[in-house]
Amino acid sequence: MCLSGGDDPKKPSATGAAGGCPSSAPTAAQLQNDPGVKKELQDAWNDSDPADPAKRHEEGGWIYMDTTTGAITTQRAPAGAQASLDLSTPPEKEGSVVVGKYHTHPNPTSEGWDPGPSGADTRVDALHGVPDLIVADDGNHTSGPDSRRGGLGGGPGYPP
Amino acid sequence: MADEPNQPRIPSDRALGIARADAESAYRNLSGYRIAIVLEKDGWHIDYELKDPNLQGGGPHYVIDAESGEIVHKKYSQ
Repeated sequence: MCLSGGDDPKKPSATGAAGGCPSSAPTAAQLQNDPGVKKELQDAWNDSDPADPAKRHEEGGWIYMDTTTGAITTQRAPAGAQASLDLSTPPEKEGSVVVGKYHTHPNPTSEGWDPGPSGADTRVDALHGVPDLIVADDGNHTSGPDSRRGGLGGGPGYPP
Repeated sequence: MADEPNQPRIPSDRALGIARADAESAYRNLSGYRIAIVLEKDGWHIDYELKDPNLQGGGPHYVIDAESGEIVHKKYSQ
């Protein structure tokens, strides 16, 4: 393992490109630009059934960084309800830490739904301490800190 | 003779019913929410909040005119 604890958030981040020790946790913008994350956000959106009023529901999961290679991976959570989802218990991945999470807001703005983070999203995301990427019909939103609180140290799950 | 305190023409249970009818048209299941209602200067504020504090997500929020029963503001959170 390359890392031993906290890092300097001012340093340029390893963006998940494999092949070297990551120097710091990736930012929300870097996660959104990661090809694997982008694909997973699109897959989660499609799986949310946004076009079906009877079936639309929230999907989401967690984003991990391998602390040796810097590789970014994702893990889907069990499907949520129409307007809620439980991302409180990320599974541990050997050699990786949680650096973000994501979920969908599949209910349409055209019917009066707010596409951005709810009050509960904002509160829970601050508690979890990693960026939350939210996919809605008007684009992507973010909530929570800009990068994992305290850097890549602090254990494999959400940061302390 | 002391003034009577202002009593809203729309009582709280009716305001709750108005909110509930609208909420049921947007949310398929409201069993996961608790409801808070407060009378403010601009009307009844009715908020559906998730019971489970671990969940991401949201519920409907309303301001209902306490004289007319009209929904003057609503927000569907998710």
